[in-house]
Amino acid sequence: MRHLYLFIGLWAIQLSYSMAQEPIDIKYASHFEVNYHSDGVKTLMIKNPWPNSDEVYNYALIPKELFESKKIRSNYKDFECIEVPVKRIVLSSTTHIPSLVDLDEVESIVGFTGTQYISSKEVRTAVNNGMIQELGVNEKVNIESTIALQPDLFIGFSINGPTRAYEELKRFGIPIVYNADWIEQSPLAKAEWLKFFSLFFNKEKEAKALFEKIEEAYLAAKQLAKSVIKQPSVISGSLYKDIWYAPGKDSWAASFIKDANANYLFSDWGGIGSSSLSIEEAVLKGVDAQFWIAPSQYTSYQQMKEDNPHYKVFTAFKNQKIYTYALSTGEGNGLLYYELGPHRPDLILKDLIAIFHPELLKQYRPTFFKPLHP
Amino acid sequence: MSTYQKFTVLIVLCIIALLLNLSLGSVSIPFLDSLKSLGGTPIKNSSLEYILWSYRIPKAVTALMVGSSLALSGLFMQTLFRNPLAGPFVLGISSGASLGVALLLMGASFFGITHLSYLTTTVGASIGSLIVLSLVGTVALRVKDSMSLLIIGIMFGSITAAVVSLLSYLSSKEELQQFIYWSLGNLGAVDSTSLSILSVITVAGMSCGILLIKPLNALLLGESNAKNLGVSIRQTRIQLIVITGLLAGSATAIVGPIAFLGLAIPHLCRLWFNTIDHKIIYPAVIIAGATFMLLCDTISQLPFSSAVMPINAVTSLIGAPIIIWLLIRKKQLQF
Repeated sequence: MRHLYLFIGLWAIQLSYSMAQEPIDIKYASHFEVNYHSDGVKTLMIKNPWPNSDEVYNYALIPKELFESKKIRSNYKDFECIEVPVKRIVLSSTTHIPSLVDLDEVESIVGFTGTQYISSKEVRTAVNNGMIQELGVNEKVNIESTIALQPDLFIGFSINGPTRAYEELKRFGIPIVYNADWIEQSPLAKAEWLKFFSLFFNKEKEAKALFEKIEEAYLAAKQLAKSVIKQPSVISGSLYKDIWYAPGKDSWAASFIKDANANYLFSDWGGIGSSSLSIEEAVLKGVDAQFWIAPSQYTSYQQMKEDNPHYKVFTAFKNQKIYTYALSTGEGNGLLYYELGPHRPDLILKDLIAIFHPELLKQYRPTFFKPLHP
Repeated sequence: MSTYQKFTVLIVLCIIALLLNLSLGSVSIPFLDSLKSLGGTPIKNSSLEYILWSYRIPKAVTALMVGSSLALSGLFMQTLFRNPLAGPFVLGISSGASLGVALLLMGASFFGITHLSYLTTTVGASIGSLIVLSLVGTVALRVKDSMSLLIIGIMFGSITAAVVSLLSYLSSKEELQQFIYWSLGNLGAVDSTSLSILSVITVAGMSCGILLIKPLNALLLGESNAKNLGVSIRQTRIQLIVITGLLAGSATAIVGPIAFLGLAIPHLCRLWFNTIDHKIIYPAVIIAGATFMLLCDTISQLPFSSAVMPINAVTSLIGAPIIIWLLIRKKQLQF
């Protein structure tokens, strides 16, 4: 009889979960997938979390009430099980921060690798108040401090394969989920990883609404840019010695230029990553470009001139039409662009439209891209 | 072929290498156009004109200077130490330079330097090689035996190498990558000030070296015989070390450590001219070094493609087979 009650109880919980959950659909992102099951569990699949990998990670996100259920656990024994909602989370990249801020989950962050790079005001306050602990560098995360924090979840990332420190943490029962937002190439796909974070807090509904806003704003800005017929010419990147490093033609950065209705002059080279061209080609192709965006770390014309005399030959340099994101910082040492940019592609796109087609966005205040200092 | 004919061939080769170097690159500039531009008629496309005058010509001059400096330094060291394996860097000059650059690139964050321009690596390399050079110079004043000096030079090299590997172990990926880029050598990022300094030192070093041709020939007979001929071994040794230090040191500081060339070119010249007389080898090494460097740079630019190979890889890849082939053909090393 006791078993029957238990069974009915369990069934009722499962039913309530499967009804309360609002399944979220993934429109742009290609490196994660979610499936909702009738027993109240959602499964998350992370695909190829680093370049040239065919690795797939499967996680089962199990509601707290069902987490101890042997039946449920046996159904998902091939999955790494995570209890949701998560209360204590560790993050490893500033790109994770804006999603948590938007989902109103800053209080859940207990640890971070590289807190000095965080720009978000809210999260900085939490760091300063000692609510978020510094855990070192991602690949060499401080294992002892992390274990002592007892997080429910560690959101990690790896650029070239399973990280040894993560394997160690797993041995101590800390679930690790690989985030692959940085591999996504389209601006909206990167931003859609907000939905990934919402899964752990059962906040899919909020994420859906937030993402729709970003998506609408992005598509509207893209449409607005299309109204202009004349495309200005644009170059990007900078020289290191005599090699010019620029975003590849299919890269995330290059897609903003395209969507802002401008002509990216270095689009003959490279794929999704960065491409390197010889100085000769960079001069030949790019010397007459009207605009130059993101000249790596430079913040002033003076600095550029001192560093490499070849910059002076470019028209965009002569006409002072260079714009950088390196001048937008928060209180930390990191650049706002790296933290908030992937999450808010609409703002990046509008910044660029305001630069390339100033007549379209009058009185616009840029978030990331600002003119270089003299 | 007489020696004169061989010299004529060498000079013609050098001119061809220079013209090839100026007209081939990742962007194609018509050969006639570049000739005309050299003659004073600008190319219609102003970008091409810029590429030729502001990139390719400075790069070619750098190659000329570096090639001849390193080849000559190699010759000096081989004769001084009577050792066919000696090269411009046996005294630890390149290790000193790499230590300077490593301290700068990989210790920069430690010193609180955030912005490193290209010039700072030149300064770092110069200071590093100067320190090692003055240490070796001080030792040279005390040690009587050239062989001990050779070993001491190698020991200095080992010490600096150890410090460099320690620094690389402790530094970040980006810093390490920058250091590796430096160690691969680069002829194309030399600013006009550095190029003028390099040219002055190279020309001065070569001119002073001419005065040493006689003592160099005497050294070939062994130190005791040279002494009997009235050559002051100690003085010659110091003079050779200072000139080599300046030539190889400035070249390394400005373009990075260029491997192999300094070791190989003197052998190449001795084998081809079939002599060890410095009156012939001295000028031959200068021209051959410059020619070889120009050719290697042309190849490293992989004409008509956007890829650029590191110059350091090219010098060995091209040079080593030539030496092997010559040795097999001649069956005996000329030394």
